[in-house]
Amino acid sequence: MKNSILLSKYRNFFIIIFWITVWEILSLIINQEIYLPSPFATFKSLFDLMFDKITYITILYSTYRTLTGFLISTFFGVILGFVCGMNKSIYNLLNPLVSIIRTVPVMSIIIIAIMWFKDTNVPVFVAFLMCFPIIWTNTIQGIASADNKLLQMCKIYSIKKTRVIKSVYFYSALPYIKAGMVSALGISWKVTSAAEVLSLPKYSIGRFLYDSKVYLEIPDLFSWTIIIILLSTFFEKLLKKIFEAGKTND
Amino acid sequence: MIKLMNVTKKYDDMELLKDFSISFEENEITCMFGPSGVGKTTIANIAANLVTVDEGKVSGTEEAVYSYVFQEPRLLDWYSVYDNLDFVLKDIYDIAKRKEVIESYLEMVELSDYREFRPKALSGGMSQRVSIARAFAYPSNILIMDEPFKGLDMKLKQDIVSLFKKLWKESRRTVIFITHDVDEAISLSDKIYIIKNRPVEINMIIDVKNTNDRESIKNILLLS
Repeated sequence: MKNSILLSKYRNFFIIIFWITVWEILSLIINQEIYLPSPFATFKSLFDLMFDKITYITILYSTYRTLTGFLISTFFGVILGFVCGMNKSIYNLLNPLVSIIRTVPVMSIIIIAIMWFKDTNVPVFVAFLMCFPIIWTNTIQGIASADNKLLQMCKIYSIKKTRVIKSVYFYSALPYIKAGMVSALGISWKVTSAAEVLSLPKYSIGRFLYDSKVYLEIPDLFSWTIIIILLSTFFEKLLKKIFEAGKTND
Repeated sequence: MIKLMNVTKKYDDMELLKDFSISFEENEITCMFGPSGVGKTTIANIAANLVTVDEGKVSGTEEAVYSYVFQEPRLLDWYSVYDNLDFVLKDIYDIAKRKEVIESYLEMVELSDYREFRPKALSGGMSQRVSIARAFAYPSNILIMDEPFKGLDMKLKQDIVSLFKKLWKESRRTVIFITHDVDEAISLSDKIYIIKNRPVEINMIIDVKNTNDRESIKNILLLS
């Protein structure tokens, strides 16, 4: 009984230890750092990065690009999602364009963006373009989910359209918008890093990823990847906390 | 007076109403009595302009201002009890008048202490009382009540029925009242239409207002 309580309390810790052990065993079997560095080499590199001022400047710039792309896509995704959700003709007009954006390979978009923008803005533009369809689609789905019975009630009481949008459609769409924002934020981290690798802005995680590939510093590559995962997880949790706080203060 | 004249209404291929006529007298409580699923709500929704007809004519709805007690409360879950009432009154009264109206109606339905509660924190009966308060507080001239007392316990039902009678005497409105509860129908209505199915038609009209023999009406309703 006591053991099972202890196990459940430290469950996540044991899971992490298990996978690090698997990683260690695999790296011992492969025995070539260029393919798979050991956990020790990776954590040593991560430790070194933690004491380098440049690491924090780089994280700051990459975070700025990721969040800027994410916030712009949220803004336009929600606004245009509402417009399209309320008006079928505008939806029909915009839908093919969004479908194209959704299917175009991210690499093509990055390369096109490199032609159009200066290096630091490329990741912002790519993050915007990749996140926008998610938030746009979720907003439209949320509007479609508005309860017809509530809309009928609004019609009976002659509620103005603007107030129906604010009080019925918005609240119906809110859970969908929140879910869209959470998945868009994760994607934003991934595509921003990818865009940085190709556009190579001065301070960017992508540039460090690229350099570690060029100079075959594979532990560095793993360290920066761990940093991206940690940042992405942190911001996802932060976003969820903000949503929860909003719920209680509603 | 609201009149449906020779109305036909189809849903997909099914003809729910065919050549159907009914009228609702001004400032009277007209009850549509009949079993569930017979089409009473559709008739009320046509009278409320919520449903359009395929054929026939509807008159008397041009100047109508409606309020509606639906079968289910239809409250905004994200708003408090107070704000649910405020929501429908916002375009009509200023803030001070709204507060006065809302507080008085919440008191009447005995929900003053619950004004800040969200609908999800209320019981089904309490939510229905909010819906009733909303319909009464709204300055309509046509009030539609679709089985409004469903889910209320006997004591509360009696209280709200007498409250309704009091309110209605103070400010008369045309009321379209749907029920399949015999006692509710007799105690509230001026006129009862007994609606029968397949095809939907008025089987009998009972003038309750001018009939003293309530027992006979009760028997007719029970046998219908």
